[in-house]
Amino acid sequence: MLDSFIKKSRIKSPWLLHFDCGSCNGCDIETLACLTPLYDVERFGIINVGNPKHADILLVTGCVNHRNKHVLKTIYDQMPEPKVVVAIGACGLTGGVFRDAYNVVGGVDKVIPVDVYVPGCPGKPEAIIDGVVEALGKLSEKQNAAAAAVAAE
Amino acid sequence: MQAFEIGLNPATFGWLLVGLLVAPVAGGLIAGVDRILTAKCQSRVGPPLLQPFYDAAKLWGKETKVSNVWIAFCSWMYFTAAATSCVMFFLQSDLLIIFFVQAVGAVFLVIGALSVPSPYSQIGGQRELLQIMAYEPLLILVFVGIFLATGSFNISAVYAMDKPLMLESGVVPMVLLFVVLGYALTIKLRKSPFDISGSHHAHQEIVRGVFTEYSGRYLALVEVAHWYEVVLVLGVVALFWATSWYAIVILLVLTYAAEILVDNITARLSWRAMLGKLWASGLALSFVSLAWLYAF
Amino acid sequence: MLDTLLFILIVLPFLAGLGCYVLRAEGVRSLIVVATGGILAAASVMLYFQTPFTYPVEASVQATLFGVSLDEIIMVADFLLLAVILYFGVRHKNAIIVALAILQGALGAYLEFGLIEHAPKAYPTFVIDTLALVMVLIISIVGSLICVFAIPYMKEHEHHLHLPASKQPRFFLVLVAFLGAMNGLVMANDLAYFYFFFEVTTLCSFLLIGHDETEIATKNAVRALWMNSLGGAALMIGIVWIYSELGTLEIAKVISQQHTSAAMLVALGLLCFAGFTKAAQMPFQSWLLGAMVAPTPVSALLHSSTMVKAGVYLVVRFAPAYADTNLGLAVALCGAFTFLGTAALAVGQSNGKKILAYSTISNLGLIVACAGIGTPTAITAAILIIIFHAVSKGLLFLCVGTIEHGIGSRDIEDMRGVYGKMPVTALITMAGVVTMILPPFGMLLGKWMAIESSAGSLFVIVMLALGSAITVLYWARWAGGLMSVEGGEKFKTESQAALTRAPLMILCFGAVVLSFLAPWIYSDMVVPLIKLSPYAVAAGGLQSGAGSFAVIPLFIVGLIGFGVAINALRKARSSHAFDAPYMAGIQSPAVAGAYTGPMNKPVVVTTGNYYLSAVFGEEKLTPYGNFAAIALLVLMFALGGLF
Repeated sequence: MLDSFIKKSRIKSPWLLHFDCGSCNGCDIETLACLTPLYDVERFGIINVGNPKHADILLVTGCVNHRNKHVLKTIYDQMPEPKVVVAIGACGLTGGVFRDAYNVVGGVDKVIPVDVYVPGCPGKPEAIIDGVVEALGKLSEKQNAAAAAVAAE
Repeated sequence: MQAFEIGLNPATFGWLLVGLLVAPVAGGLIAGVDRILTAKCQSRVGPPLLQPFYDAAKLWGKETKVSNVWIAFCSWMYFTAAATSCVMFFLQSDLLIIFFVQAVGAVFLVIGALSVPSPYSQIGGQRELLQIMAYEPLLILVFVGIFLATGSFNISAVYAMDKPLMLESGVVPMVLLFVVLGYALTIKLRKSPFDISGSHHAHQEIVRGVFTEYSGRYLALVEVAHWYEVVLVLGVVALFWATSWYAIVILLVLTYAAEILVDNITARLSWRAMLGKLWASGLALSFVSLAWLYAF
Repeated sequence: MLDTLLFILIVLPFLAGLGCYVLRAEGVRSLIVVATGGILAAASVMLYFQTPFTYPVEASVQATLFGVSLDEIIMVADFLLLAVILYFGVRHKNAIIVALAILQGALGAYLEFGLIEHAPKAYPTFVIDTLALVMVLIISIVGSLICVFAIPYMKEHEHHLHLPASKQPRFFLVLVAFLGAMNGLVMANDLAYFYFFFEVTTLCSFLLIGHDETEIATKNAVRALWMNSLGGAALMIGIVWIYSELGTLEIAKVISQQHTSAAMLVALGLLCFAGFTKAAQMPFQSWLLGAMVAPTPVSALLHSSTMVKAGVYLVVRFAPAYADTNLGLAVALCGAFTFLGTAALAVGQSNGKKILAYSTISNLGLIVACAGIGTPTAITAAILIIIFHAVSKGLLFLCVGTIEHGIGSRDIEDMRGVYGKMPVTALITMAGVVTMILPPFGMLLGKWMAIESSAGSLFVIVMLALGSAITVLYWARWAGGLMSVEGGEKFKTESQAALTRAPLMILCFGAVVLSFLAPWIYSDMVVPLIKLSPYAVAAGGLQSGAGSFAVIPLFIVGLIGFGVAINALRKARSSHAFDAPYMAGIQSPAVAGAYTGPMNKPVVVTTGNYYLSAVFGEEKLTPYGNFAAIALLVLMFALGGLF
């Protein structure tokens, strides 16, 4: 019973970590707009935490460069399982207009596995919320897969 | 031996269960209501009522990774101490001892935070100690006031009185002490302006301060322990008008509403401002009310 | 039987000390110290089964030592002792010491040859009640353990100093003889004896503080001597005064009634004053802080668990004589003020031994405050705090000494993460801190009693409430810092000499077990002394009308919680899933505990405690504190005598 409640709770309590990987702040403004009364993502139990150790979903905006790729990787590694990653905006997806710059690695998925891509320049708040909901589906898939792996052992 | 009588006496055993099992549920519900009301203050809808339970359950199911194993130890010690102090409250034990047992939890929470060399949790731990230092004398003096009114530190003595505690000795001293208790309550609820060590909101300037390094099920334990503590402190608030259930409910609702309002309209203080303001005004108020109580 | 026990407890340490001095071989010395410690501990336990008793049993019989009247030996030794102090005063060119020694000599001569009628005295020389017994047990067991700890410690200590000739024979002479002096002091029923032993402890303290003969050590030793001589002079004046008022030097007689006359209260105030100097109450705290330059076993033995307790013993012993008087209230205020003031001073310190010193003074202040309040519950609190403080604080001093030898520093900032290097010592230190401040352990039991029994005194209770909150701050941050280390794997246990490890283990074990036995200690040790039972022992807890503390049930719950927590720790360790501390994601891949700074260079993160020196700094608080404390002392004499 506790297990099923925990499963249900995972979907109902996604804590976000928002990492700005070198964005122009367009996507960041739209992401934070989700917290405002207009969109109020706390309705879905979403909290914007500042700490990877407490987070379930990593929201990344902006393109990855050689200097901050380690930071992105470290933060991702510090998140406890189960976790999912949502890349936001054109830059987060592919590197966007910066992708050919000498210091740019590219999209987020060059460094860490990305589960959901939210396109846009910037991504609209509705699209970001949609992406998070999509990510929750992935989260429950992951947890089912993990449970199956445990059962197989 | 009385220790065994506790098990045999159904009323006492019932209260033990209330303290152990009902209290954390009530604490979680209070936290849920708190979040909804806070959202309403900010013209938002807010999360479901059961959100704190979802959060705790999710955290319990997360992978356990710590940077120092003392985090695991300290989170359990915090949990045990908080639960014990809450149960002792419902068993109508000695207020000072209840409070000292609660302090065991607070101290272990800090030791856990300090056991990890992360700057955020270190600062959080230090600030938490300052918070403890700020509220502890105030609570002791409130309890001394209750002692002067009832003749005992045991909670049972409060229930044995005919009149509400608030009306003791011509209202003034007890109302002053109630205000002092409000200061301590604000710190214990981790609400602005005294949430310097780790806010109950998700985010602050030192990440999550004293909680930064607690993760997964250890954070879940800390959350549930916090619910116990909230019930305990609200219980002490209720003692001030414990002659009828209606009065208790009204007093608690008003006090908690005031806390939420204060949380939403104030900014976080620095440690120096917190300590200065709390000690200056809290000690002055409690000194006046205790002097009043001695005089009558 | 009785005379053998008393001989062992008082005279044997002096002889053993001489043995250490004369037989200079290291092995012989270790053997003597360990054997003396064992015999003393055994004798004190045997004393437990004899208590209470008086000696000589027949009041008309005069006590003798080797056939010579003990009274005469003490009298001669007294003047010799003052001559030695005078000599040190002259040698260090300190006018205060010289003047005070001459004053005490003159008063002593006046008392001995002018006042006292030398008829055979009609009262026993020694009275052993449970208060004396408590002290004897602490001195003989905790003290002996510390002496044993000193054997490997001093070897290592001298190893660092590269001395031409070992000074250990003299060191152990004083250290071991001191145990005898303390035992004599707490059992004496004659003020003249009491005075003699009191002065012996002063001299021992002086010799041991100055042991290293550095400039600072000598300076601090001289300061300790003049401050304690001030207390000695006050004691001597008080004794002369009491004799001229009551015509007796018998302590039991003095405390058998409450005194209300102004003259007697001033005399008793002088005795309390002597107690304050010995217990380093504010404004005399500076000598005890200076005493921390001495080797750590000295700090542990003289300056925390036993000698300074002689000061509070004096105040507690005479508490029945000034109970319910203004003097009592004033003593309570002085004690409570010291409790608060030195706790605040401890916040600003990072030197571990200084923190321990301030904390010691603070707890002694709490005991003094309890004695001043003087109700049965307060006296109970005082005695319990004496017991539990001696064990826990002795332990913590030894821990600091051990850590200091391990890491080469006594600063608590340097002790950060010591768990990684010396896990066993760090855990024992942690246990020591927990027994100092948290329930269900004995110190907190005493503090609880103290707060509940002082609830009737407005100023005292406010100071106690503030002081106890500040106390939690400086202990908890120390304990947390010890554990501050990255990684969760099991650290390698450090190797230690058996004579180092054993005292640590025994004291740690003792601190926990004694706390568990607190209800029985209360009914066995406290009730017979105060001849009242303010607390009812029921269900393994203590209850009074004012409150209740369920010691044993709390222990059981605590043990369950501890078991669960340890189990969780083991699980977390065996999962091997460790995570780096959060550093905003920029930790250096190459260097542990560092982040990647400018130019990709690793920058090691350093964290420190808040010492709040803007508010709690030593130089900020001390002048105000001393001023207020002096004002309180004046108030004490004014309240006691003039009004």
